[in-house]
Amino acid sequence: MNQHERIEFDVVVVGAGLAGSAAAMVMAREGLNVALVERGQKPGGKNYFGGAIYTHAIEEVLPDFMERNPPFERPVTEAGFWFLSQDGLMRATVQGGNLDRSPADAYTTLRASFDLWWAEQAQKEGAFLIPKTTVVDFIREADGQVIGVVTDRPQGEIYAPVVIICEGVNNLLAQKLGLIDRDLEPAHLALAFKQVISLSSETINTRFGLPDSEHGLAVSVLGDVSLGLPGMGFVYTNKTTLSVGLGVMLDTLAEYKLKPYEVLQRYLAHPAIAPLVAGGQLLEYGGHLIPEGGYRDMPRLFTGGAMVAGDAAAMVNALHWEGTNMAIIAGKRAAETALEAHSRGDFSERVMSRYEDRLKDGFILQDLKQYRNFARFLETHPEFMGTYPVFLNDALGNFFSAYGKPKRRLFREILGALTNRRSLPQAAGDIISMGRAVMGW
Amino acid sequence: MFHALVAIKQVPDTTNIRIDPETGNLVREGVPAIMNPYDAHALAEAVHWKRKLGGKVTVVSMGPPSFIVTIREAIELGADRGILISDRKFAGADTLATSYVLAAVIAEVHAEDPLDLIFFGKQAIDGDTAQVGPGVAVRLDMPIVTYAVKVRDIDLQGRTVVVERKTERWTEVVETPLPTLLTCEKEIAEIPFAPLPDLIRSLRYDPEIWSREEPIEFDSGQIGVRGSPTIVYKMGTPPLPEAGEKVNARELGVGTAVSHALDLAQRSGILSAVLGGE
Repeated sequence: MNQHERIEFDVVVVGAGLAGSAAAMVMAREGLNVALVERGQKPGGKNYFGGAIYTHAIEEVLPDFMERNPPFERPVTEAGFWFLSQDGLMRATVQGGNLDRSPADAYTTLRASFDLWWAEQAQKEGAFLIPKTTVVDFIREADGQVIGVVTDRPQGEIYAPVVIICEGVNNLLAQKLGLIDRDLEPAHLALAFKQVISLSSETINTRFGLPDSEHGLAVSVLGDVSLGLPGMGFVYTNKTTLSVGLGVMLDTLAEYKLKPYEVLQRYLAHPAIAPLVAGGQLLEYGGHLIPEGGYRDMPRLFTGGAMVAGDAAAMVNALHWEGTNMAIIAGKRAAETALEAHSRGDFSERVMSRYEDRLKDGFILQDLKQYRNFARFLETHPEFMGTYPVFLNDALGNFFSAYGKPKRRLFREILGALTNRRSLPQAAGDIISMGRAVMGW
Repeated sequence: MFHALVAIKQVPDTTNIRIDPETGNLVREGVPAIMNPYDAHALAEAVHWKRKLGGKVTVVSMGPPSFIVTIREAIELGADRGILISDRKFAGADTLATSYVLAAVIAEVHAEDPLDLIFFGKQAIDGDTAQVGPGVAVRLDMPIVTYAVKVRDIDLQGRTVVVERKTERWTEVVETPLPTLLTCEKEIAEIPFAPLPDLIRSLRYDPEIWSREEPIEFDSGQIGVRGSPTIVYKMGTPPLPEAGEKVNARELGVGTAVSHALDLAQRSGILSAVLGGE
């Protein structure tokens, strides 16, 4: 290639994660010349999550996904909450119904293999993957219109009339474009960390009561998980591994000077968790930030020639474990907008704003707006992650114990266990606040 | 115009490997494949001189089709042409069969477009034999400089090259006629961060695939398993050396500790070995 020749594409997508590869897939399929720029050695190399991935989003981008051998681990056939007290476990999970269909609503997944496959589907549609390359800045017209990107490589400019930014949680590029005027706040970031622990599939099936490897479990673990600090654990069953970990807000870790691996070790040693992982071999240990600030932390989603999708745009609904599906759908909406811009030959801010219109039509912006107070609610009501789950656990434990004393006294004791920690008016207020935070009132 | 050829090998990243304790074999599953680091440094030096003198760099590798990614990586680092010698019949080659094949391919490339320098890494990090470079040089009847750490000067008109090579005690400065074969240490050149146009070209690049018959015909008796007299009798991991005695200077006092350590070293014969009996 001539050194003075400009590198030009119809679109540059920054980041081959869930949003980026979805966007690239949709645009390449319609014939656009797409550069998919990834900083890792391979797609997925930098990505990490709990976790499970939702099929409704995959299907919307890739209807025949099941024929393309997706690297799913297990279908999620049981999901819900576990409440830990200091030594007890109360399970509130569901199975059957909507969780018992094929393809399943969600599959447990490891991102290193899933993201690689996901990017391969984009490449099969014709997207051009450029790995090992980090986008560090933009090429802009005098009026600010984005017309390309600058990468960290020598002669690293790539020209394109549209850039879709799917850079992940650390939204340096969105900041560079002025779409958000502040750095990420530790109080709105969860640091999630986990171990991937190898066990035979038979052992996993036995320990989790799963009939076979075509059944899997995904649970959030509340209560006594993170040294009494606000945090939420999780357990996902994979084919021959478990993903077990927890997320703690970054400011909490900093304030109490906690080392993530120490918190994780303690969680794994909990009497209810330890037998599940016993005898397993540690394969991986890692962590990743999750932008949990939600709607209030979202950057402006577009400017002339550019759009932002996925974690970079804080598209995460922490309560419902949604984020990957939002990333995929937002990537698709950005792609549709880029296609519209190309067909009109107009890449102005006005056309880019159609991206936000498309998001408002669907669940992403509606849900994020509804849950806009939820991050703040959890910040101010840590008892929902600690006190209440522990109380529920103890209460149910007492309810099913025969102490040989009158039940009236027992109920009084159970209630007393709550009112020791939270007065009744306080508890009532908490429940109302929770309802308001979830309903968006 | 300068023309260099670099022989490269794809190897498992040995910083990341595990040995199966029962079979003694390398566990290849999940281990990333990389370009042999010594080869990558040799390639960087070849590309450096190409950019300085004008000309081109050809890379050659022998292996299965999965080696295409390594050829592409060489293109990314500045090679112009990549040849992958790939045929089931080459499989199972030891260093003898490999040097036979590489020598024949290099002779063919040289006949098409004369070569000035041929670069090898000093050894591959999987086999650690350091035999293939010298094996090729002998077959090509070409001068060889092993353990090269620096190419001082290339004189294309005078047909000479001045190379520094590392020995255990000294650096030797060698002048040899071109073409010459070098086997290189990592110090020979830093691996640069490739410009974006080179990366893009590499991602679109399809190497030439040379088979047993085309474009040159190899003698079936000298390739693959049939051409490889080496027999691996047994593989295993060496036992870890036992930890030596520790002398606590804080408890004993520095003087006592040092004389105790010296005494131990003398009795075990280490001291005389290090000092050479002086």
